[in-house]
Amino acid sequence: MEGHQRNLFLYERFNARVVGVSVDDVTTLKYWAKSLDLTFPLLSNVTGFLGPAFGVGPSPEVKGFPVFSRRTVIIDRKGIIRYAKDGSPDFKDILLFLKKMNKEGGTP
Amino acid sequence: MRRHIGVLLCLAWAAMMISACATPETPQKPYRLSQQGTVVWNDEFEFKPPPAEWKIIQVEVGGEFGFGFLRVDPGPFPSQSMFVYDEEPFGCSTQLGERGGEFFKRYLWSTTMILDMQILEKKNVQLLGGEGLAIVAEGKDPVRKEKVKSEVVFGKRGDRVVAFYLTQWRPVDGTYDPSAFEIFDRFWGSFKFVKKSFYQTLVEDP
Repeated sequence: MEGHQRNLFLYERFNARVVGVSVDDVTTLKYWAKSLDLTFPLLSNVTGFLGPAFGVGPSPEVKGFPVFSRRTVIIDRKGIIRYAKDGSPDFKDILLFLKKMNKEGGTP
Repeated sequence: MRRHIGVLLCLAWAAMMISACATPETPQKPYRLSQQGTVVWNDEFEFKPPPAEWKIIQVEVGGEFGFGFLRVDPGPFPSQSMFVYDEEPFGCSTQLGERGGEFFKRYLWSTTMILDMQILEKKNVQLLGGEGLAIVAEGKDPVRKEKVKSEVVFGKRGDRVVAFYLTQWRPVDGTYDPSAFEIFDRFWGSFKFVKKSFYQTLVEDP
């Protein structure tokens, strides 16, 4: 998330907005956002209902606790998922994709 | 037909022999020495290298830093000095002063030690052709009886903040070695960017 915050001005340049989604509760996310100086919105998805919509499920590595896998998704203004990658965000890849999308007029 | 099969077998045998004779590729070093005695790292950075007792360290992916140098110092554990160049130091701000504050919130968290870092000195410096900020700090863990002295230098690469930092670890009653700090100062003082960063190219290229 800190990496996204660092790149926020570049995302804005490519007409993109960032939203973080986590299964943590609102209080935890508020504390977390404050400690990392995050200025973009974080959504609390405690029940995990948003996960399947973006192809994200509980991590197989953590048993008995609803820890979700990490996935980066880029959605265009029509609501179509244009980019989805698992694991830690590849910021350079994301920025290149956003630049390309912005140039094509498919503003995210 | 039998002749064709024979030719095919011969070709397969020859291919096997050639592949068996191929020598394994030696991994290429990420750096080269220039005629001026500086090191050019990945054709991107240039700097004066530390003396030979400093060993190169690097993190390829997902690390906290890109590359740096480590020296095992005389004395009991944890006597060692290490300095690195970091393209993505902790924090988000593009203002050096603010970034310094953000950085020290999380600096050395992965040591799992209770260090309670105290800022000893803060001064403006010149580096990378512009303004920089150098912070010297010290942390002590009374439980493990270890301490660390660190110098962190922040500078700019385009719009982004980059950092150099040195950590020198000692037993809590040990003495620090100032020579490592001098070598570190020479390292960041000589540091140059040979080419534009990914981020600079990203925003400049159409």
